[in-house]
Amino acid sequence: MMSMEEDGELLQDFLIDAGEILEQLTQQIVDLEKSPGDKEIINAVFRGFHTIKGGASFLTLEPLVALCHRTEDVFNVLRNGERAVDSAIMDVVLPVLDVLKEQFTQLSSGLPMREADPWILDKLDELASPEGRKISRGGKPVAVKHNTQISNKKKKRNPVKPSSTDIPRELNGSESLVFTARDNTQPDLEVEEISNEEFDALLDQFQSVRQGVVYGQQHNGTEKPGAEQPGAEQPGNFPIDNKPIDNKPIDNKPIDNKPFNSKPPGSQPADDVIETGAAPGVSEEEDDIITEAEFDALLDAIQRSNSKSDLALSVNSINQKGKGHYKPTTADHPTVTDAAPPVNKTAAAASGSAASGSAASGKSRDTNQAETTVRVDTKRLDDIMNLVGELVLVRNRMISLESLLQHEELSKVVGNLDLVTADLQSAVMKTRMQPIKKVFGRFPRVVRDLARSLKKEVSLELQGEDTDLDKNLVEALADPLVHLVRNAVDHGIESPEEREANGKPRKGTVILTAEQEGDHILLTIEDDGKGMDADKIRRTAVQKGMMDEEAAARLDDKECYVLIFQPGFSTKEEISDVSGRGVGMDVVKTRIEQLNGSVSIDSRKGRGSKVIIKVPLTLAIMPTLMVMVDKQIFALPLASVNEIFHLDLTKTNVVDGQLVVMVRRKALPLFYLRHWLIKGAAATALPKEGHVVVVSMGVQRIGFVVDQLIGQEEVVIKPLGAILHGMKGLAGATITGDGRISLILDIPGLMHSYARRL
Amino acid sequence: MPVKVLVVDDSRFFRRRVSEMLSVDPTLEIIGEAADGQEAVEQALKLKPDVITMDIEMPVMDGISATRRILAVKYVPILMFSSLTNEGAQATFDALEAGAVDYLPKRFEEFSNDKRLAGQKLCEKLHSVARVQRHPRFSKTWENKNMPPASPGGVTTASRLVKRSLHQAHRTVAPPSTDEPRIRKGQTSMVAIGTSTGGPVALQKILTTLPADFAPPVLLIQHMPESFTGPFAQRLDNLCRITVKEARDGDEIKTGLALLAPGGQQMEVRRNGDRYFVHIYPAIAGQNYRPCIDITFKSVASNVTGKSLAIVLTGMGADGSEGAQVLKKMGAQIWVQDEATSVVNGMPASVIEAGAADYVYSIDDIAKYLAQKV
Repeated sequence: MMSMEEDGELLQDFLIDAGEILEQLTQQIVDLEKSPGDKEIINAVFRGFHTIKGGASFLTLEPLVALCHRTEDVFNVLRNGERAVDSAIMDVVLPVLDVLKEQFTQLSSGLPMREADPWILDKLDELASPEGRKISRGGKPVAVKHNTQISNKKKKRNPVKPSSTDIPRELNGSESLVFTARDNTQPDLEVEEISNEEFDALLDQFQSVRQGVVYGQQHNGTEKPGAEQPGAEQPGNFPIDNKPIDNKPIDNKPIDNKPFNSKPPGSQPADDVIETGAAPGVSEEEDDIITEAEFDALLDAIQRSNSKSDLALSVNSINQKGKGHYKPTTADHPTVTDAAPPVNKTAAAASGSAASGSAASGKSRDTNQAETTVRVDTKRLDDIMNLVGELVLVRNRMISLESLLQHEELSKVVGNLDLVTADLQSAVMKTRMQPIKKVFGRFPRVVRDLARSLKKEVSLELQGEDTDLDKNLVEALADPLVHLVRNAVDHGIESPEEREANGKPRKGTVILTAEQEGDHILLTIEDDGKGMDADKIRRTAVQKGMMDEEAAARLDDKECYVLIFQPGFSTKEEISDVSGRGVGMDVVKTRIEQLNGSVSIDSRKGRGSKVIIKVPLTLAIMPTLMVMVDKQIFALPLASVNEIFHLDLTKTNVVDGQLVVMVRRKALPLFYLRHWLIKGAAATALPKEGHVVVVSMGVQRIGFVVDQLIGQEEVVIKPLGAILHGMKGLAGATITGDGRISLILDIPGLMHSYARRL
Repeated sequence: MPVKVLVVDDSRFFRRRVSEMLSVDPTLEIIGEAADGQEAVEQALKLKPDVITMDIEMPVMDGISATRRILAVKYVPILMFSSLTNEGAQATFDALEAGAVDYLPKRFEEFSNDKRLAGQKLCEKLHSVARVQRHPRFSKTWENKNMPPASPGGVTTASRLVKRSLHQAHRTVAPPSTDEPRIRKGQTSMVAIGTSTGGPVALQKILTTLPADFAPPVLLIQHMPESFTGPFAQRLDNLCRITVKEARDGDEIKTGLALLAPGGQQMEVRRNGDRYFVHIYPAIAGQNYRPCIDITFKSVASNVTGKSLAIVLTGMGADGSEGAQVLKKMGAQIWVQDEATSVVNGMPASVIEAGAADYVYSIDDIAKYLAQKV
């Protein structure tokens, strides 16, 4: 392995690229699981591993090379159609991604790389060669154009007169043969010639069987019939395509696994078949496969028949092209000895067009547009964002100055500045935007793994994956979302039996949605599980001493649900291996609120739950409502502000020790901000009337009484200095348009420290 | 004027490595990069590079298709980057058939342990590939119908070029003939063919025309990495009427069989009574060519009774020249490929210069005469 000192830069370079590819791979694998037959994705995944391998081998990172190489091989087999994507593949490819990720981390931190577990490598090896052998490429474009030459081949040792050189073509795409070897104990029988007569006899056998519509197979003493016949339940799988039937024992011969026309016998008019045959490649889009071992078995069978006339051979799918029979008089039915591979010659040519089609078909996929993109450290973006923030502040200052001076020229300039700044701000914001897909991408995996371990059946739907939001937000949302999704699967979705008993489909559904709503992003996690039991939550709340029974009874259902966000709240069922690992619901709520967002829950017992998260598009610049409290300006995050009204403060009531005002026949808890924020204000006389700002915190709505409303302003959040750091109820500070400093209020924090009861 | 290089690879990492390696050489200038085959085609036509390095596995359009597309419009020498796997080998042969000049293993340490040296080799290779400004498209029959016609300037009249090479050779030795070979059909005991750059396509051309009852056994020596010779033999076997296999130590040399010398090793002929076998042994340090044409040729000279025929096809360097001289002394007939149809004329020319060549033919004629006269 290379030394870090000398190649550190190369390594860094590699890691950046490889990391990106890994991320794409994660997404692609997820997509692949959704549409397992998608060749595009398989190709893309193949290339992903191929590229990582390339870089890794350049840097001689052997463990990486070993892993990627094998995985690449597996996908090669997949893209050649020699295997279908199934859960066995997924079960090993997903861990591969994990190992890769781990290896990257180790690399970047300079630790020695851990080799992938042997089981993974073994499994990959196994999957890469379906029958324990290397299968060479099947579906690749090989520009072969020697059909006629091939068919004339082996004249010397098989001097049957070449009356027709077209037999292979006649076979093209129209018949399916399955041969099963009997007594297949000597897989590598070497050269053993058969005479022409014998060969003719053999062909006659084919023919008669073909005409006789024998369906099915015989396994007589085949070593491992099941294993060798993956397609045993549909035995029409032997691709003869365009190739000479050539009995040479093939060791490493490429078997072209052109899928075959696998329609049941007689289901297709013969004429059809001929046409298909005439247009090579057309009928080859299905996924039947013959494995090399099967083919060996077949060859052995033919060979054996030579000496023992003990050929067990069955043929099905007798779509004999009109002619009803097939003329076995050519030179290209070579001897058993011979060197021509049975397949892959003309078929390869036949597939040429298809293959080149596939080559050109990747256009829809993202291409690596290195030439038009620049890689920028996110820190630099943060700096730019900060500077734009400063500019916004200056702009605000200019605007307020301008309104003071009333100077026409200045007004124009300021108006211009305002415009440009706004554009700049949104442009810079855009550079920081990332699709939420980045977070969503991991959920199919999370859900899949979790559902498996809980033995539930869950399907996950993702909507609005392309919604863009600030990079920091994307990262910050990841953990809370994972927790909520896990919760939904763990607690929401019932076991398949339970679901059936309740008349629901066995498979539960979790829907994850993201959408932009104005300057907010709305994220919902919805499940069709058992929903939440409000009464149970009430009981638990009382048991935990969070409130008395009376208060609990007064809560409506929606308010109950919010209780689960309280720290320390946990119903019995909530303690499981699954949720034990993650953050608690209270942490979820705290996190979201740190992002100036909010969480709410909607649930119907027996029908499912819906968690709704609302976060601003960006964290750096925040629209606020500026209010004045006792000559000090405070900024309330506009996201939380619901409404503002003017209030006759004498019309308030005190309920249960809490000042409230009736708004639309609902009691709204009312607080004087000055009590909390202004030193010594508690003693001063209260004004007769004032402005009330109604803010929401989850489902809870609260009114704050303020002295004066200033207006809406976009502010840049500046962290509080060391002295004020950690002050409850303050999110930060900012400079207002008139150059003053204003504190930004953190409403949940405020409530937490001053109004615990709510 | 530096040689203008277009680097095509979907891995940014790899493109950068190539750039780094080329930056050492002031006579090479990277004028563009492409991240997929489609881009490669566009860039190649727009930027008019002198040489292209081409990856095979790429999104949107693979390297082979891109090679075809580019060559359909305009001839540019193309160097393929291949992985030394079975898959990689197959793809590489396809690329060569599509018209790429040569290939290099993508994993640099496979052709040099020292990275600096690897860079040097890459530069040298690029220079030599860039010099191939005329790729012989052998003949209509050879040409795939799907394949684009060669560039207008691609096929220089064979005769003129032959004359030129004759002229060059004339100074020292008797010129080889371009007439029909004077050889008695059925009297040749063995045919040995040695080739290097451009060889895969040339060999394919020749061997596929041989009839199944081609009498003399054939030995093939193609400079090629270890992991490529197996797939190459397989590919030839798929295409030919005679059997082609990668030689293994102790294989008998028989009628109807062509044995391909395995990469990384050397192949010699051994006689046992009236039967011939191949002896395969690992190349030793210092042997530049593995397999080496001279070694096999000389062993044919000293072990094979009766008339043998040696053919030296397109290739860089001078391997085969010594062996051909020894063979000629022993009475063997020597044919070489002419300049017009050679991708690189180095090896045939060196045989001519050494005075060992009896006949010089285009690849078509070699194929034709071999099939008809031998």
